[in-house]
Amino acid sequence: MPDRGGRDARKRRGGIAEAIYSLIALVVALVFFFPIYWAISNSLRKPAETFTVAGLGVPFLDFTPTLENWISQASVPEAYAAFGNSLAISVVSVLIALALGLPAAYALARFRFRRIKNKDLTIWFLSQRVLPPVATAVPFFIVFSSLDLLDTRAALILVNATFILPFVVVIVRQTFQDLPIELEEAVLVDGGSHFVAFFLVALPLALPAIAAAALIMFAFAWNEYLFAVILTVKAAATLPVHIAGGVDTRGVQFWFVAVRALIAMIPPVLIALLAQRYIVRGLTLGAVKG
Amino acid sequence: MASVTLREVRKSFDDQPVIHGVSVAIKDGEFLVLVGPSGCGKSTLLRMVAGLEEIDGGEIAIGDQVVNDVAPKKRDVAMVFQNYALYPHLTVRQNMAFSLRLRRADKALTRERVGRAAEILGLTPLLDRLPRRLSGGERQRVAMGRAIVRDPTVFLFDEPLSNLDAKLRVQMRTEIKALHQRLRTTSIYVTHDQVEAMTMAERIVVMNQGRVEQIGAPLELYDRPANLFVAGFIGSPAMNFIEGVLRRSDGKAEVVAADGTALPAPPEVAAAEATRVVFGVRPEDLLLAEAAAGGGAGIGAGVEVVEPTGSDTLVFCRMAGQEVCAEFKKRQAFAPGQRLRLRPRPESLHLFDAETGQRLPDRDQSSP
Repeated sequence: MPDRGGRDARKRRGGIAEAIYSLIALVVALVFFFPIYWAISNSLRKPAETFTVAGLGVPFLDFTPTLENWISQASVPEAYAAFGNSLAISVVSVLIALALGLPAAYALARFRFRRIKNKDLTIWFLSQRVLPPVATAVPFFIVFSSLDLLDTRAALILVNATFILPFVVVIVRQTFQDLPIELEEAVLVDGGSHFVAFFLVALPLALPAIAAAALIMFAFAWNEYLFAVILTVKAAATLPVHIAGGVDTRGVQFWFVAVRALIAMIPPVLIALLAQRYIVRGLTLGAVKG
Repeated sequence: MASVTLREVRKSFDDQPVIHGVSVAIKDGEFLVLVGPSGCGKSTLLRMVAGLEEIDGGEIAIGDQVVNDVAPKKRDVAMVFQNYALYPHLTVRQNMAFSLRLRRADKALTRERVGRAAEILGLTPLLDRLPRRLSGGERQRVAMGRAIVRDPTVFLFDEPLSNLDAKLRVQMRTEIKALHQRLRTTSIYVTHDQVEAMTMAERIVVMNQGRVEQIGAPLELYDRPANLFVAGFIGSPAMNFIEGVLRRSDGKAEVVAADGTALPAPPEVAAAEATRVVFGVRPEDLLLAEAAAGGGAGIGAGVEVVEPTGSDTLVFCRMAGQEVCAEFKKRQAFAPGQRLRLRPRPESLHLFDAETGQRLPDRDQSSP
């Protein structure tokens, strides 16, 4: 029947399109995963094998893997210090940004500012990301130097919290705006203040967006290198600084860089896996009416 | 419980006036319905009573207290929203207990009040569910429950039934009315559905374009609409209107339509000869001339469409050059193209001034 023939053809075309999309996805995934694979492979080779391994450097096939690099990295005290610094700086700066940014986002979403319009305020928050960070490097150095905060966690916490603040404001503001306003009005009529509406209704409902924003902010703070290298020497050095420090008189120690990079990936990946639950839940959160 | 008084209340959005001086006095324990087409300002007015919109002019008082500058939470009103506004992350029980939780009420008292409200509304088996696992009707009940638990001085309803299907709407209508008869809490109910207004209200406020058109008991509005807007808005199917000119001759009065048809008018109507008027008659007040007591030749009408509803028969026909609807209680076997003679029930005629749209007063105010 012609009718069915048409449907089959459509199905077949859909199949081809799907195959093409899958192929593209696969290629993109390969491009993204290759550096990670290369780091893993590199971390398992002897230093001498860094450039001498044939083919794609598949462990067991192209070389005999060894945990030598991992073991020697484990005995470097700076590694632990850097990990601790990175964790403390990222977590605290995310918390500060959330504490300041969530109320700001809510205020921008729900109140009308007259002197400076809401739109301008939002753009003003965002514009902070327009300036190349390096432009403020010297001023920051001078400020922290005169505050006697060079090479302290506090300095990097302040810098990172400032830089990531726009993310939470812009992302969560939109989510607050999309929440049905009746929910908060119901709180007001039910005997609550705007603070109650914010804490008991808007915040829990925006949790998925907050989780997503927090993840982005954490990744940003975790990977921040420029200011970490300018404002720290040793005591407050972070993982990116530690990774970049894998250089000696004979050149880059690729084996250590690989190990350190892989270690540095663990916390963001763990957090992403944890936050994923919230982010997915956000898509299925029940609407107001059926 | 308390009365609610609106005095010359005004509101503008971005310099665009939307409420033009509304005054209504709502008695303690009364069930008042605000009705009007979309955009007439009825919801805005309700939100002003709730404190969700600022009052630009005039006064709103709950009891003896002027509440213009009182925060919503201090007004002791409960509101049921059109989309229910249930907190999606809280269970039915938590939703209903929310206001008591904010007031830091005693746990035992909270449990008792929530339990009682749930029982009244038949929600007891659903108390631990989240709103997303409830049907529309159940959500509606939870929204009501949340309001009842508060035991407020005033209930505000903002089109609470408009998201329900027709059958459930009729059922909930009865439930809300029964609930009010039980609690006797002053209630203001906003709807665009005139049937809801007629069936539920003790008094109706008909609004249009930010103004009050008429305030009165449902049947008062039905029997003596103050103007063309109320006449056309209240009643379904709507009142038939025919424009014409008032003519008087030897103690009789009639309205002569554009095509020359003469329609009988009450002779006691207080309007001068040659006034341009609108003649109004409700569909059920058009009688078949043959069947009408007292005879009379009636007015010729050609049947165009017949709609039997089971209980009544709606007949759409052309009379005096206008499309009119007649409603018969008996089943009628009319066919399109048939000629009828219709006679308006003389005691149920409405005459309006064509210029102002206002009802022309009779000299005899007590006519049925």
